[in-house]
Amino acid sequence: MDDWQTVIGIEIHAQVNSKSKLFSSSSTDFGSAPNTQVSLVDAAMPGMLPVINKFCIEQAIKSGLGLNAKINNKSIFDRKNYFYQDLPQGYQISQFKDPIVGEGSVEIEIEGITKTIGIERLHLEQDAGKSLHDQDPNLTFVDLNRSGIALMEIVSKPDMSSSDEAIAYVRKVRSILRYLDTCDGNMEQGSLRADVNVSVRKKGEELGTRCEIKNLNSFKHIGAAINFEVDRQIKIIERGEQVKQETRLYEVVSNKTRSMRSKEDAHDYRYFPDPDLLPLQLEQDWIEKIKKSLPELPDEKKLRFINFYKISGYDAEVLTSDRRISEFFEEVAKNRSSKLSVSWVASELFAVLNKLNLNIENSPVSSSQLGELIDEIENGTISNRAAKEVFEEMCNSEKSVKDIIDDKGLVQISDTSEIEIFINKVLEDNPENVEKYKNGKTKLLGFFIGEVMKATKGKANPGLLNQIVKKKLDN
Amino acid sequence: MEFDKNSTIKLAKLARLSVNDNQLNSLEKDLKSILKFIDQLKEINTEDIDPTSNSLDQKLILRDDIAENTLSNEDLLKNVPESELGFFVVPKVIE
Amino acid sequence: MLDNLTILEASKLIDEKKVSALEITNSYLKKIEDSKKLNCFITVSHDKAVHAAKETDNRVSKNNRIGPMDGIPLAYKDLFCTKDTLTTASSKILSNFIPTYESTVTNNCINKGAITLGKLNCDEFAMGSTNKTSFYGPVVNPWKSLDSDEELVPGGSSGGSAASVAADLCIASIGTDTGGSIRQPASFTGAVGLKPTYGRVSRWGTIAFASSLDQAGPISKTVEDAAILLQTISGHDNKDSTSSQKPNEHYFSNLNSSVKNLKIGIPKEYMSDDLPLEIQNYWNEGKKILSENGAEIIEISLPHTKTALPAYYIIAPAEASSNLSRYDGVKYGLRTNEKNLIKMYESTRSDGFGDEVKRRIMIGTYVLSSGYYDAYYLKAQKIRSLIKKDFDNVFKDVNAILTPATPNTAFAIDKEEKDPVKNYLNDIFTVPINLAGLPAISIPFGLDKKGLPVGMQLITNSFEEQLLLNIAKNIQDSINFKNEPKCWWK
Ligand SMILES: [Mg+2]
Ligand SMILES: [Zn+2]
Repeated sequence: MDDWQTVIGIEIHAQVNSKSKLFSSSSTDFGSAPNTQVSLVDAAMPGMLPVINKFCIEQAIKSGLGLNAKINNKSIFDRKNYFYQDLPQGYQISQFKDPIVGEGSVEIEIEGITKTIGIERLHLEQDAGKSLHDQDPNLTFVDLNRSGIALMEIVSKPDMSSSDEAIAYVRKVRSILRYLDTCDGNMEQGSLRADVNVSVRKKGEELGTRCEIKNLNSFKHIGAAINFEVDRQIKIIERGEQVKQETRLYEVVSNKTRSMRSKEDAHDYRYFPDPDLLPLQLEQDWIEKIKKSLPELPDEKKLRFINFYKISGYDAEVLTSDRRISEFFEEVAKNRSSKLSVSWVASELFAVLNKLNLNIENSPVSSSQLGELIDEIENGTISNRAAKEVFEEMCNSEKSVKDIIDDKGLVQISDTSEIEIFINKVLEDNPENVEKYKNGKTKLLGFFIGEVMKATKGKANPGLLNQIVKKKLDN
Repeated sequence: MEFDKNSTIKLAKLARLSVNDNQLNSLEKDLKSILKFIDQLKEINTEDIDPTSNSLDQKLILRDDIAENTLSNEDLLKNVPESELGFFVVPKVIE
Repeated sequence: MLDNLTILEASKLIDEKKVSALEITNSYLKKIEDSKKLNCFITVSHDKAVHAAKETDNRVSKNNRIGPMDGIPLAYKDLFCTKDTLTTASSKILSNFIPTYESTVTNNCINKGAITLGKLNCDEFAMGSTNKTSFYGPVVNPWKSLDSDEELVPGGSSGGSAASVAADLCIASIGTDTGGSIRQPASFTGAVGLKPTYGRVSRWGTIAFASSLDQAGPISKTVEDAAILLQTISGHDNKDSTSSQKPNEHYFSNLNSSVKNLKIGIPKEYMSDDLPLEIQNYWNEGKKILSENGAEIIEISLPHTKTALPAYYIIAPAEASSNLSRYDGVKYGLRTNEKNLIKMYESTRSDGFGDEVKRRIMIGTYVLSSGYYDAYYLKAQKIRSLIKKDFDNVFKDVNAILTPATPNTAFAIDKEEKDPVKNYLNDIFTVPINLAGLPAISIPFGLDKKGLPVGMQLITNSFEEQLLLNIAKNIQDSINFKNEPKCWWK
């Protein structure tokens, strides 16, 4: 198997996060009652005409710039003609020969090694409606709420060679779009979908026949579908047969891909410039203005995190992969220990979010609350161990950090004379061990500290405790 | 490739029109005649000429991103041949 | 008194309170009722019209009349979507379609107080030049040849729009022109037909045939009425991305008939031995009139004229094949019951579309299909650039162009034309103007020896409708064409 190479190219469909559709003013809200966000234009009523949404164009430009791509000053909207029940016009308005965004690139990192993935293009197009096949044994139901929503189709070059790379690429693009706020990246709701082109070849041989797996909407599915497909294609070739060029569907239940349509049934889309629209001309000034307004993107931010917070590349990657997480982290880390901030965000908080299956946006603990908790650790009010107890409570209640500490009586004893009382008691109660210590068995230091902790129910400031016990014993 | 009966059948399929054998012959004849007519253009040299898809010399007008739902489900479905529960309905599609 | 009214005449009667809008409206409704033989109307909006007329009268009684269109009975080609009124495009596939919206064109008329008498027959989806492709049957030209009782075509595709004006079933009408569909029927029926510059009139709510060529315009009895109507229907519409942002003009109040020092071009490519002598004679008469009135006549060349028709019969069907994909039986219109979606599409569309529409869909599908796009569609779009350049060049030297509107006069409905291409030749003088997006007007010049109207066409540069109307008025006033068809149809 070692001499096989996999070649992967990906088309991402990312929904522009606009309020209204690409060519009509219907709302793009998710989850409304069927066919209640459909205008005369979306339903392709006779005589209806498209008028383009300026915001969607701006978002496409922004995304293009974020993908280090060339923005085309002139682009053209074409009609892609085919009949389908969820395509009311009988054509999709898309961009074919002259897309709004040309070539670009993104960088992915796998196990510390950076790889550049080329972007072929980004174009704007209309989404289709939604078909429901399970409502009636003989009928398909069609909901056009989604019909006409703006999509950015981002086409990569066939630069990926494993499912890991493919996933890293989609993650990276998603992250960039979320940084730019041009797409919410919500894969479960279908705001970001991937079509994956997979082919295999023996090292040094020509490119193999590719199959396209349509509409993958989770990283897990992207990985599984590619792995299955690579396996399937290798087996076919090893049997001495040929891979057929076709469009395939990934089925979650069986974890397999199956044929949807072959090349022979491929559509003849009859693309031509939409005569209802004129060419889109972009003023360079507008593009420059958008360029100036771009936020810091993940790669830059990661470098800054490494340099400014003095954290590891791994931690920086984790904390910058998502814009909201990075912002959350920076709010927490502002004027606080970056080491503590990393550990509380990347370990403790992430563990909770994972367990509850929540995004950072819905975190049960806000960045200012987490900051307060870290403050209490830093100023010695509570111990690290007590902080974990407080944090657990914070996740489950609305109580303030201070109230939780008070209610649970977790305030650390940092008063020297108070700690001394406890220490004196422990030393008095254990004369033999004091004796042994003084005779050189210094390992017993831990024993005394443990005893004092027990007596203070863990509230003794560990640093202080250590210092005083040592001083007393060494005297 | 010569335009023939098969081309006519293929075109009809692409255009989602069903044509019976009777119509097929006259349609093929008509289409051939039209093709012969438009084939005149092959003699015209159009090298280095930019195509015009719309004669209006104007910049594309851009709309502001303001959302409003202007059409009720009832009005949307006013002319629908078949609907159920607010959905458009078509014969079962197997994907 | 209420016969053969122009907009100006009717407006004056209403203004002076000599006649009410309701009386005028009722008299037209009666005439429509009595003229079913002409088959001009698909739908008569009786109640709507009476209601609107009463509203006009109400305004008049309070001295609040909106303007010259208030109370004027109009009728619209059945390509304009009209709210709550059947709109069919003369096609079986839309034979049950009742829009919930009003097209910009009809809405503009209604807002100015015009009365909607109803919807006019036309070629199916405006594809044709005889009005014979309508699902509702052919419109009959009110004119008849002196030597025969044969029924004649009114021309097309706005056949009903032209015939209804000629037969005085409405004061004026609105049609659409994709390759000559206003000018050719106007010419066949002795009416004035104006195709505005592409983009001057909004296409929103007008059922599309070929989006880059379609343009709505008036058919009327006089140039003055054409000016008033153009003013009424035109202007920028932010619902149409191909609507011009140029400000609307006061075509009527600015109308003057001077042609002094204007240069009028006569394209030599429009002349051929096949052109009937009488049409040649009227063309010469046109030159004579204009030069006598102070214009200079210049021979010009539009070298790519011959390529316009084949280019048009690529571009228009290509756009149409795509525009008509929405008629699939899912959202509105006809639907044939089938158990399989593709079968449903195929039988719905085959049953719903007529032969000419199917032919054009097929040709349009062909010229866009993979392997043929460059040779046909792209080539035609390049030819279009050449044609536009021809006109651009010529308009450096002349102010307007005078040509015949059609290569023939009205012919018998029964004349069966087996070869579709022969029918296409009707548009030979009108099509180049649509490809270039220019404004043009067809005005009646006289009758041929069979007693049938002959029209001439004037063309100006983009958005020079005012000049176009001015020259047309000069010709109108000089010729004083007052002929009317004999009323045989009541
Ligand atoms: Mg694609
Ligand atoms: Zn796409």
